[in-house]
Amino acid sequence: MMYPIEIKNLYYRHKGKDINLLKDINFKVNTKEILAIVGLSGCGKSTLCYCLSGVIPHVYKGSFNGEVLINGKKTTNMKLSNISTRVGIVFQNPDMQLFMPTVEDEIAFGPENLCLSKERISKRIDYALEKVGMKKHRYSNPNNLSGGEKQLIALASVLSLKPRVIIFDETMAQIDDKGKKRIKSVIKGLKEEGKSVIMVEHDLENLDIADRVLHLHDGKLKKFSGKL
Amino acid sequence: MEIEKNKLDPRTKLTLVLCISSLSVIIQNINILTGILVISIIISNLLGANIYSVIKKIKGLVKIFIAIIIIQSLFINYGEAIIQINGYKILTDVGLIKGLEFIFRMAIIIVSATIITTSSSREIVQGLIQLKIKYEIAFMVSVGIRFLPILTQEIKDSIKAIQLRGIEINKLSIKKRIEIYSYIFMPVVAGSIIKAQNLSTAMETRAFRAYDKRSSFNELKLNNIDYLIIIGSFLFTILILALYLK
Repeated sequence: MMYPIEIKNLYYRHKGKDINLLKDINFKVNTKEILAIVGLSGCGKSTLCYCLSGVIPHVYKGSFNGEVLINGKKTTNMKLSNISTRVGIVFQNPDMQLFMPTVEDEIAFGPENLCLSKERISKRIDYALEKVGMKKHRYSNPNNLSGGEKQLIALASVLSLKPRVIIFDETMAQIDDKGKKRIKSVIKGLKEEGKSVIMVEHDLENLDIADRVLHLHDGKLKKFSGKL
Repeated sequence: MEIEKNKLDPRTKLTLVLCISSLSVIIQNINILTGILVISIIISNLLGANIYSVIKKIKGLVKIFIAIIIIQSLFINYGEAIIQINGYKILTDVGLIKGLEFIFRMAIIIVSATIITTSSSREIVQGLIQLKIKYEIAFMVSVGIRFLPILTQEIKDSIKAIQLRGIEINKLSIKKRIEIYSYIFMPVVAGSIIKAQNLSTAMETRAFRAYDKRSSFNELKLNNIDYLIIIGSFLFTILILALYLK
C-alpha cells in the first residue's frame, strides 16, 4: 500500500556533530489521519519536520540516511519545488513565513512560482481563504493581524499549493487559546477533506484532535505514554 | 486583475527617481539644485509621500551633515573668507556653497526616494520583474525592505537591554560607546542571518525557484499618464543637462 508520507530507517546528524539527532525513525501517515509527534525542546522535532518536508537534505546539509517517501517517491530524488506541491509545512513563527504586503499576495506567492494562470491563482486564493475562514482579510497587511490570524494566513499560503500532507511545526506555540481553537478547527476540517496532517507539539493540551500520538525521545520515536 | 488604475505605475516612479537623482549628482550649481529640490518635494507631495516622517527619522543625521559642511569648507581655501583666524581662512563663501550643495544633493536623493515609498514592496518587485530584472533579485530587494524595520527594532531592543542593566550609553565616552555598539552588532547580525535563513527556507517550501520564470497574479500596466510622465521626465532631464552643460 502506498502512503501519502512514509519514513523508513531515518538517521540524521547535523553537519559538524558526532551524534545522530534522529535515530532509526519509522512511521507512516494515512489519508484522513492526524498524527501528533511530541517531545521536549531540542529533541529534534523541527529537524524531523525538515526531513519530512524535504528541507533536509535539499537545503540543510548533514548526514542523512534512510528514506522519506512521498506517495512512494524518495524525497532525495525529487526537487524541493515538487515536494512543496505534495507536502506543505507551517512553521512556528509566522513572522518568518509572511513577507508580502497583503494576504492576497502572500497566498498567490506559491501558485505564482508554479507558473499558474491568473484564473487558477484566483481560484486557489479563494479556496485557501475559504478553508481558513479569513476571506475578509484578503487585502489586509499580514503584519497587522493577530498571531493566530497570521498562522492561518501562513497555512492558507501553504494550502494554495494543494499539498496532500500538511505539517504543523509547533504552530500553536505562540498563539492564545482563542487562536488555538480556531487553528484546531481548521486542522480538523483539513482531515475531513482527505489531507494527512502531522502536528509536532510540546504542549500536550493540543493533542485532543490527534488520531495517533508518537513520542520523540533521545532521537527515537515510540508510542506516547501520556508523559513527556 | 490590475493594480488600481488611478495610481502611478512603480516603473514611472522609478523613472522619476532615476531622473531626479541623476540630475542632483551631475549638477554642481546651487541655484539649479534648489530648483530640483523644490520640484522633487512637489512631486513627492503630489504622490502622497510622507516626507515629514522621513525627515523625522533622519534628523539624527543632521549633526553629521553639518560636520561634513564644515570639513568640506575647511579644505576649500579659495573665495571670500567668512571666518578667518590669524590670516588663515577657516570658512569661505565658496566652501559654504559647496557644503550647502552637498546638503541639497542629499536632500534631493532622500526626498526623491520617498516617491518609491508610495508603492508597496509587492508593486516594486512586480515593476522590477516587468523591467526584465531576474525575479530572484527583485525578491531580494523586497525582502531587504521588509526586514529593515525588524533589524532597526532589534538594534533598539539590544540597546534598551544594555540600558536596563544600568549602563547609560549617552553619558559614556565615544570610545566606550563604540565598544558597546560592537557588542550589540554581533548578536544582531547573527540573528539577522538566522532570520534570513528561516525566511529563505519558508520561501523554498513554497516552490520558490521552481522554474526560471514565474507568473504574476497582479500584473502592472502602464497607462497614458505613465507614458506621459516617463517621456516628460526624460525630456526634462535632457533639457536641464543641455542648459547646464552649455
